[in-house]
Amino acid sequence: MATRIFLVLIMAILVLMIATFSLSLVEKEEIALIENQEGKSLNIVDDLYDIEGNQIPLESLLEGKVLLNVWASWCITCLVEHPFLKSITQSKDVKLIGINYKDQSFNAEKYLLENGDPYIFSIYDLSGEFSLKLGVTGAPETFLLIDGVIVSHRIGEVNMEIWNEKFAQYF
Amino acid sequence: MGSKLSYANFSVLLIACAYLAYQFLQDNFSFIYVFENSSNLLPVFYKFSAFWSAHEGSFLLMILFLSGSLAVNNLLFWEEKWIPISNATIAFILFFYLLFQIFTSNPFLTFDILPKNGTDLNPLLQDPLLAIHPPVLFAGYVFYAVTFSLVIAGLFRGFDKELFKNLKLWAGISWFTLTLAILLGSIWAYYELGWGGYWFWDPVENIVLLPWLAGTAFTHSLIYSRNKILLSWMVFLGISTFLLSILGSFIVRSGILNSVHSFASDPSRGIFLLSLFALFAFASLGLFFSKSVLLKSNWPELISKQYLLVLNNIVLVVILLIVFLGTLYPIVTEVFYNQKLSIGPDYFSSLITPLVFVLIALFLAEQFLGYLKSNQRNTLIISIIIASVFLFLFISELNPVTLGLIFVALALIILLLRALVEFFSTKDIKVMHKILGHLSVVLLTFSVLLNHEFSETIDVKLKPGDEIEFSGATLKLESINVEGQANFDSVVASFSVLESNLKKTLVSEKRVYKIGGVITAETGISSSLIKDYHVVLGDRYQDGSWSIRYSINYGIMMIWISSILLLFAMLYGTIRRHGY
Amino acid sequence: MKNLRNIFKIIIIFILPICAESLYENLDSEELKRLNYLSDNIRCPKCSYGNISSSNAPISKDLKEEIAQLINDGYSDDEIFNLMEERYGEYVILKTDIDDNKTLFLVPLMVLIISILLVTTYTIKKTK
Repeated sequence: MATRIFLVLIMAILVLMIATFSLSLVEKEEIALIENQEGKSLNIVDDLYDIEGNQIPLESLLEGKVLLNVWASWCITCLVEHPFLKSITQSKDVKLIGINYKDQSFNAEKYLLENGDPYIFSIYDLSGEFSLKLGVTGAPETFLLIDGVIVSHRIGEVNMEIWNEKFAQYF
Repeated sequence: MGSKLSYANFSVLLIACAYLAYQFLQDNFSFIYVFENSSNLLPVFYKFSAFWSAHEGSFLLMILFLSGSLAVNNLLFWEEKWIPISNATIAFILFFYLLFQIFTSNPFLTFDILPKNGTDLNPLLQDPLLAIHPPVLFAGYVFYAVTFSLVIAGLFRGFDKELFKNLKLWAGISWFTLTLAILLGSIWAYYELGWGGYWFWDPVENIVLLPWLAGTAFTHSLIYSRNKILLSWMVFLGISTFLLSILGSFIVRSGILNSVHSFASDPSRGIFLLSLFALFAFASLGLFFSKSVLLKSNWPELISKQYLLVLNNIVLVVILLIVFLGTLYPIVTEVFYNQKLSIGPDYFSSLITPLVFVLIALFLAEQFLGYLKSNQRNTLIISIIIASVFLFLFISELNPVTLGLIFVALALIILLLRALVEFFSTKDIKVMHKILGHLSVVLLTFSVLLNHEFSETIDVKLKPGDEIEFSGATLKLESINVEGQANFDSVVASFSVLESNLKKTLVSEKRVYKIGGVITAETGISSSLIKDYHVVLGDRYQDGSWSIRYSINYGIMMIWISSILLLFAMLYGTIRRHGY
Repeated sequence: MKNLRNIFKIIIIFILPICAESLYENLDSEELKRLNYLSDNIRCPKCSYGNISSSNAPISKDLKEEIAQLINDGYSDDEIFNLMEERYGEYVILKTDIDDNKTLFLVPLMVLIISILLVTTYTIKKTK
């Protein structure tokens, strides 16, 4: 009798376990683990400056469609997505603003000189504080803002495929 | 004939492995697997260990070990009655592993062109300890497959004296190897990851702990099973240990746990391994339940060593359950509630620590079984009550960890005294491995608590030449230098720690690897028996100073020493019956 | 040669990311303990596993500094946990809440108690 109860219990646990694992394998849509920042609005507390040290007018971020891209000269994936960002600013009417993340200004300037500068300007975020409040976890990341509200957020590299999936519908 | 075939199987696999190793040493990057895991800048030793640094090669190595154990079994135990069934079981496992290897994870695939250089071995794996950790771990898994095959043989042919002897040998070897693998992993985590910890309750670590816990319960349940006590329970544990090791392979290799950084892994691998798990699970458990009528077990008395063993097994299985639930619960919530959550170290340690105390209490109870049985029972009960009253008086004053420390220290002293008394009264210790093993577990618990309670960490900002005082010792950043190596450049920071006129030097590095530009930190550690000084060089500030993480970790050396003692006890307990 | 070395030195030092000013100096020892507790129980959002006190990612250091700032501003532990959960999701909270995950705590406890009771009553019955 005891053996029978044990048998039923063990088999039930096994079946449940295997079913769960199968479901988790089959689940095609990978759930992003980190909540992305879509739906939240941009909240700027401090003054912002670009790499040359000029103060940035806040309207330029809060009005209309703005594509914000987090980059740094030490970030390798940023270099990988750089050509794509250039091509997208040339082919489409995209207002691309950079966030230069935890970088030395002269390294950042050198990087733009060598690889081309697709950004209207780049917010100089040496401490990473502005990015942190925005919900950035590293570089590269890309946000699409419409009138100061984040409508689309990509953690990681942007390429044609990602662009079509996350951003193209707004342009 | 059968034994010759097992040698042939091993030889062919050995040639295949040697061929792949040769490609690594020759930098033949036209092999996709070599291209992805090596580069021509890599030191020769790591070119060799890169063999098992990724999925395909490590699985091939595991198959080689399994085939090797099969050959060894045939060489040494050819005359035994259990050999045919054991051979059949291992061959069955080997067959499915090889199918998996050939159809989903072939390491011999090539490019049409010859790339100039490979994409390098993951820098975190470029460490001597992590080069030997995986082979030991796979060996542990594989040995449990052999143990499993002996259990299956017993189910068919019955458990006789010879089978028990060999079963204990294989179970002991597997247990020893898996423990060694876990220890190596811990030492690596402490010295290489540089976070000051040795165990993180990381899912991948927990997955290894599952078969280890089942194996621990299994080895203990084997002790009295020759008298038919707990026989069927022992068989069940032997099967579960093997199943948990396959489950571990499935979870790690299918990538269902670490979805943040999952390599776009082939879904067919997960499906294959899960089917394999289901096949083995239903087949072996079905066999177990159909034969369990044959396994007439005896039941122990209430006040006996055997009964304490039952309790020990219950506690170990509950610990297993906690680790299992905590590790896999996030998958369940993700599948059924679409909710992603994390189970942190807090959950595991808050539930498992009290259970470890229960285990230690069981060691102690065993020491006093004689008194409990005899007419001195009342004296003992009264003294336990007095002791608990004293403890309760303290409880209001002390925090739980301190109380735990006192309890474990007391247990340590009592066990040690009992062993000494036995030694001096009989000039011999009967079950040395058991006493040593239990003592080292208590010492390990003590060191872990010590580490948890007293270790301190501070983040500081220092320029070369600056000093900081923390916890009675002065840390000074002596200098920052830059050095170049074949495959990386590094910023080298030299520190000195001054405590009561005793000066120690520490070196921490920050490495930038030439291929891929990966940045890693090398920890600076200065160890002594009681405490370690531990520094990690962080990022640079704009004014030229550096952020530095400075910790004083207690009991680390004691953790390693007690683990090594435990390993020694396991090894001695395993081979002592075999005349070595 | 010396010059070359210096140039080399500058290059490797300067390609490393740079970090912001530390705020920990404002905290007393009790607050430092809270900081260590909080950062032990918040997962690094960029890493596959590990909390923010045990990760080399720049984000972890930033978060730790933000938490130090929040402690300094008088936020309680729960408020800080909530703030982090709101920004990055429940996934980053490593502390397991008993009330939200009762199964996780109750199942092992039940199994322990039931199996000990069963085994003991069975043994007593057998002995008699």
